[in-house]
Amino acid sequence: MADVKTLEHSTLKVPYELLNKQFRASQKVIDREVSKVNVTAGEFEKKMKEPTLTVGDVTSALTTMVDNLSMLKRKAEESIQEEIGATHVIKRRLAHLQERKSYGEQDSSPPLTWQKNRLDRMLVEYFLRAGYYNSALRLAKHSNIEDLTNIDLFMMSKEIEDSLSKFETKPCLNWCADNRSKLRKMKSSLEFNVRKQEFVELIRENKRVDAIKHARKHFSSAEPQQVADVQKLMGMLAFDCNRQDNPYSDLLSKDNWQSLVLQFRYDNFKLHQLNSTSVFTATLQAGLSALKTPHCYKDEMSMRNPDCPVCSTHMNELAQPLPFSHCANSKLVCSITGFALNEHNPPMMLPNGRIYGMKALENMAGDNDGRVVCPRTQEIFHVDDLEKVFVM
Amino acid sequence: MESCGAVEKELDKLGDRYASANGHVQLTLDDFINSIRGFNNELLGKPPEEMLSQATRKAISEFVSRGKAAANSVSSNHKDLHGSVSKLGKSIDRNFTSDFSAVITDGAFEGERKQRLLNEVICEHFFRQGMLDIAECLNEDAHLELPHGRKEPFLELHRILAALRQRDLGPALAWAELNRDELNKRNSPLEFKLHRLRYIELIRLGASKQSEVLEYARRLAPFAEMHMKDMQLLMGSLLYLHKGIQNSTYSFLFEDSSWEEICDIFTRDACSLLGLSVESPLSVSVNAGCKALPPLLSIRQVMQSRQVAGVWSSKEELPVEIDLDQEYRFHSIFACPILREQSTEQNPPMRLVCGHVISKDALHKLLVGNSNKFKCPYCPVEMSVTDTRQIYF
Repeated sequence: MADVKTLEHSTLKVPYELLNKQFRASQKVIDREVSKVNVTAGEFEKKMKEPTLTVGDVTSALTTMVDNLSMLKRKAEESIQEEIGATHVIKRRLAHLQERKSYGEQDSSPPLTWQKNRLDRMLVEYFLRAGYYNSALRLAKHSNIEDLTNIDLFMMSKEIEDSLSKFETKPCLNWCADNRSKLRKMKSSLEFNVRKQEFVELIRENKRVDAIKHARKHFSSAEPQQVADVQKLMGMLAFDCNRQDNPYSDLLSKDNWQSLVLQFRYDNFKLHQLNSTSVFTATLQAGLSALKTPHCYKDEMSMRNPDCPVCSTHMNELAQPLPFSHCANSKLVCSITGFALNEHNPPMMLPNGRIYGMKALENMAGDNDGRVVCPRTQEIFHVDDLEKVFVM
Repeated sequence: MESCGAVEKELDKLGDRYASANGHVQLTLDDFINSIRGFNNELLGKPPEEMLSQATRKAISEFVSRGKAAANSVSSNHKDLHGSVSKLGKSIDRNFTSDFSAVITDGAFEGERKQRLLNEVICEHFFRQGMLDIAECLNEDAHLELPHGRKEPFLELHRILAALRQRDLGPALAWAELNRDELNKRNSPLEFKLHRLRYIELIRLGASKQSEVLEYARRLAPFAEMHMKDMQLLMGSLLYLHKGIQNSTYSFLFEDSSWEEICDIFTRDACSLLGLSVESPLSVSVNAGCKALPPLLSIRQVMQSRQVAGVWSSKEELPVEIDLDQEYRFHSIFACPILREQSTEQNPPMRLVCGHVISKDALHKLLVGNSNKFKCPYCPVEMSVTDTRQIYF
C-alpha cells in the first residue's frame, strides 16, 4: 500500500483545498447575513426606547427581522450543503483508493483494472499539465475517471491562462482576490506583477495620467523589496516608448505576459499543493531506473530483450540520463524463455560459456534428438555436454 | 491502507459535524422564525394605531435579542467547523507524501525531442490498448504527426482480437495462414490451435454434422507430427459424437478457457511478429515505478536526515535495490557474491571447475603471490586460473 501513500496526495489534497475554500466562502456568506440581522436588530432596539409606540410602528420592522432570519437560514443551509458536497468528492476518491486492497495481502500488486485506471489517471493529469486538454477530457471520459482527476482545477486555470495570453488581467486579478490570504502566506508576487504589467500597458498606450493614478492606487502599499521595481516603473514615465533606444525595452516586451502565465501556473500549483512535476513523470522515471540494466545499452542487439521497456527504442533514449538499477544479489533469467533461473530451472552452461535454463535446453534437445542450438552463436552442441553452474 | 483509514476517520468525523451543523441551523432558526412570524401576524391583526402594551414591548425586546443571539450562534457554530476541516487537511498531509521532487532526475524528460519521444510512447500505448480515438487526439494536441504505418498493425491486431472474442475464427486463421512461415520459425502452435477450435465447434453441433467433422479432420493432418497427443484426443472424442460429448470424458474440450488461451497466444505471436513486447512498455514501466518510488523516497529521507544527501549525486545507480516481481525481470544480472558488485565487461562472471561462479576481480584477489592456484571459496576444490572460464548469461 506504500504506493497509495506515495502517489495519491494530490488525489485527496486538491479536493480538500476546494472544500477549505468553500468553507471560507460559506463563512463569509453567513457572516454577511448575520450582520444584516444585527443591523436590523440594532435599529429595532433603538426604536423600542421611544416612549410611545403603536402596533403599526413595529410590524414592518418585525417583518424585516423575519425576512432577514429566513434569508440567513436559507443561505446557511445552502452553504453547508455545498460543503457537504465537497466532502463527498473526497469520500468518493478515498473509496476508490481503498478498492486497491481488495485482493490479497498488503504488499501484493493492485488489481489489474485498478492499475490500468491509475495509469489513466496519471496520464490525464500529465495531459492537463502539458495543456493537451482535449486528450485529457477524452481519456477521462473513456475511462470514466472524471471525478477522480483534478480536471476542474486545470480547466479553471486554463481559462485564466488563456485570458492572460490575450493580455487580459481581470480573471487573474479576481483569482488573486479570491485567494489573497493564501497567496500572501506564500509571499506570492503575482498580483504585484500583474499590476506592474497594467502600468506598462497604460504607458504603452501613452495614458500617462492614468498610469500615475494606477500607480498611486496599487503601488503605494508596496513591500520594501518591491520599491526598486516601482522606481524603475516610474522611470518609464520620462521616456517615449516608441523610440528605439528606450532604456526600458525589457519592460515593454510582450514576453512578460508569457512569464505572467507561467507564474500564475506555478502559484496555482503551489496553492493546491501540487508538485511542479507530474506524478506520471516521477513514476515513469523511477520505473525506468528500476528496470534499467547495462544490458539495455549493449551494442549487441542480441543482449536486448524485446519485452524490456528500457530496450525499446524510444524509452531507451528517454532513460539515458537516469540512474541504473542497483543490484546486490544476482537475478538470473533464461534469455530463451524469460523464466527465472533457480532450483526448478537450474542454469546450465553450454561448452561456449553461454548460460540458459534447463527447461529451455531440454525442450530443444527433445525436439532435435539431443542437439541444442545456441541462439546467440548458432553453434550446435549435444545435451550431454551441458555443465552445471552454481550462482550464490 | 492505514493512511487511507486515518483520513477516512477524519472525514467521517467531519461528516458528522456537518450533519449536526445543519441540524443546529434548523434547531436555532426554524422554531424561532415561526414563533416570531406568528407573533407578528397577531400584531398585524390588530389596528395599526393601537398603542403597544408593556407586555408586548417586553416580548418584542426579547424577540429582538433572541434573534441576534440565534444569528450569531449560527455564525460561530459554522466557524467552529474549521477545526475539523483543517484536521482533515493535516491528516492528508501527514498520511500521504506531498513532495517527491527529491527523487527526480532534473530535466531528464525536458526539451522538445524528449517530449516528443514521451508523447509517442504514450500514443503507442493507446494504440495497443485499442484506444485509437484518444491516440488520434493526442497526436493532434501534441502535434506529433505520427507516420501512418505506425497505426495499421495495431488496427489489424484489434480487429482480429475483437473477432476472436466474438468466437469468429475467420480473420485469425487468415492471418495465421498468411504468416505461416514466420510462425513455424517460432514453433508457434497458433494455426493448429485455431483449427482445433473450429473442429471443436463442429463437434459441438453433434452427430448431424458427422460428415463435415470428418472432412475437417483431414485439414488437421499436416499438424499431426507436432501435436500428436492433441490430435488423438480430438479424434477420440468422435467415439461419443452420438451419445453426446458433453457428458463424456471429453467434455473438457468445450471449456471456455480455450478461447481465452487462443486470444493470449494470438496476441503473443502477433506482437512477436511485429517486434513488439507483449505488454505495453508504458504500463510495465509505470507499474514498476509505483513499486520503486516508495522505497526511493524513504531512503532519500534517511539520507537527508543524516546529511549524506550528496551520496546520491553520482547518479550512476539507484541507492537501493528495488525488489520487483519476476515479471519485471528482463535481463540476467550477475552480482559477484564476494565483492557484492554487478559484473561488467571488465569484471565478468567466471565459472570455477566446481561450477561456482565468482567475478574475475574476486578470483584475482584469491591468488596469493605469484601462484596460479587457488581454492574455491565455497567448496574445497583447488584449481588453477586456466581451468576457469568466462560465462555469459
